[in-house]
Amino acid sequence: MASVPAAANAIMAAKPSCSPLLPLSPSSCPFSSALSGQPLRLQSRRFAAAVMPRRMTVVFAKKKAVAVLKGNSKVEGVVTLVQEDDGPTTVNVRVTGLTPGSHGFHLHEFGDTTNGCISTGAHFNPNSLTHGAPEDEVRHAGDLGNIVANDEGIAEATIVDNQIPLEGPNSVVGRAFVVHELEDDLGKGGHELSLTTGNAGGRLACGVVGLMPLQ
Amino acid sequence: MASFVRTLTTASLLPAAVAVTALSHSSLFPSFRFPVKSDLPLPGSLLSASALRSFEAVSNPFRANAALHMESVAVDAKPYDEQTGVLPELMTEFMVDMTCEGCVSAVKNNMLKLDGVSGVDVDLSNQVVRVIGSVRVKTMLETLEQTGRNARLIGQGNPNDFLVSSAVAEFKGPKIFGVVRLAQVNMELSRIEASFSGLSPGKHGWSINEYGDLTRGAASTGKTFNPANNLSEDKALGDLGTLEAAENGEAHFSGSKEKLRVSDLIGRSIVVYEKEDKSDSGIAAAVIARSAGVGENYKKICTCDGVTIWEST
Repeated sequence: MASVPAAANAIMAAKPSCSPLLPLSPSSCPFSSALSGQPLRLQSRRFAAAVMPRRMTVVFAKKKAVAVLKGNSKVEGVVTLVQEDDGPTTVNVRVTGLTPGSHGFHLHEFGDTTNGCISTGAHFNPNSLTHGAPEDEVRHAGDLGNIVANDEGIAEATIVDNQIPLEGPNSVVGRAFVVHELEDDLGKGGHELSLTTGNAGGRLACGVVGLMPLQ
Repeated sequence: MASFVRTLTTASLLPAAVAVTALSHSSLFPSFRFPVKSDLPLPGSLLSASALRSFEAVSNPFRANAALHMESVAVDAKPYDEQTGVLPELMTEFMVDMTCEGCVSAVKNNMLKLDGVSGVDVDLSNQVVRVIGSVRVKTMLETLEQTGRNARLIGQGNPNDFLVSSAVAEFKGPKIFGVVRLAQVNMELSRIEASFSGLSPGKHGWSINEYGDLTRGAASTGKTFNPANNLSEDKALGDLGTLEAAENGEAHFSGSKEKLRVSDLIGRSIVVYEKEDKSDSGIAAAVIARSAGVGENYKKICTCDGVTIWEST
C-alpha cells in the first residue's frame, strides 16, 4: 500500500509551475531536464506535440462551447465560448438576477459541484500562478475578472482571452464557471484571500462548460 | 481507425512519461525497464495496449490485480449483479472526518470487511481514505458513515494515470436529481455508477449524447454519442440502455462499459428519457464534467465563503 500515497504525491508534485505555452513568464521556466525536476513541463510539451497533428487534420477549426449557469438563488445565465484555430477564445456572458454592481467571474479546475464549491477545486490554474486580473501576466487562467450588473440585475459582457482554449491539455471544456457574490479585487485588495480567490465571497451560480455543435 | 490510433498514441505517451518521471525522482518502480525514447513523436505501435498493461502490472500491485481480473470479464454496459457480478477495480478516495488513530483502525477494519475491497489506506493528517476495490461508491460511503463519521467522495481513478480519468454529471432538478460518475479503469473499460431520484416509476432510457449544450435542456444535446470507430456497430456507444425506477422514483445503476473513454466524454451530456424509447427528446440532462482524480483535490474549505466540506451541498 505504501506505493499508493507516494504515487499520489508524485502527481501532486507534478503540477506545472510554468508552461512552455506561456511565453510571458520566461523567468519562471528555467531549463531543466526531466531528470532533475519539472516533469510536467516536459510532459505538457509532449502532449502539445501529440495534439498538433490532429489540429492539422481537423476540417472545422472553429470550436464552440456553452455553459448554462444555475444556482440556489434566482441568478441564472448563459456563457458561450468560441475559438477559431489557436486564436483567443471569445466569451459571451449574460447573467440575470444579480444585485447591481460587480461580481467575480471565474473558471474553476473541475466541473464537479457535487460537494459545492469544494469539489470544483481551485480557480483553473495550470501554470500555478497567483490570482490576478484578466489582463495581468501573473494570474490564474480561470481569472476572468468581474462582470458588472446594471440596475435590473443583468450583467452582459464579452471577454476575449488567450488562456482558456477549447481544445488541448488546457481546454476549459468540462470545467465550471462560477459567478460570485462580491467583487473580485483582482489580487490587489490586500486581504489575505486577495492572492488566491480575489476575496469574491460565496458563489451565486455555476455551470459546466459543454460542447456545442458547429453551425 | 485513424482516431483510434491517435487516442492510443496520446494515451501511451503519458504513462511513458510518468514512468520516466517516477524513475528519475524516486525508486518507486525499480523493476520497470521500458524502452522509452525521450523525444517525440513516439509511434503508437511502440506501446501497445498489452505492453501498457504489463507496465501497470509491474508498477502498481493494485493495478496488477485489476488488469488480471479484467481479462476474465467481458462486459458491455453490463449492470452490476448483486450476487455474482463484479465492478472493475478502481481507487476511490474519500475525505472522512477522522481525528484520532482510533478512528483510523475503525475505518480500516470496517472497509476491509466489505466484500470486494482489496486495499485500504488511511492518511490521517489529510483525513483521506483511499480504497482499492470493486465495491460500489454508495456501499463504501454507507460503510464509512456507519463508523459515525462524515464522508465525502473526493477523487476516483488511477494514481498512475495523467489522462482525464474521472468525470461526473449532476442533475440538479427541479424535478429529477441525480449523480452519474464515470471512471476510466483501463484503456478499454470505464466504470459507470448512477443514482437518480424524482423519476416516474418504471423504465427510462438513458444515454450519453454528443453535446453538453443545455440551453434548451435535453433538446439541445444532439444525438446519442457514437465515435467514428464505433459506426459499424448496431448500437451507438453512448447508448446506456434502460434505467428501472422504483415506486419511490429512485433508480440506481452500477456497471461498466467497454470502449468507453472518459476523456472523450468530457463536455458531452447524460440524458434521461421519459420512456424506454429514446426517439422523443429527453426529460433531463446534465453536462459531463471533469472531476478530481486520486490525489488531485484535497480542498476542505471553500475560501470564497468559508463553507467546509462537511457543510457543503
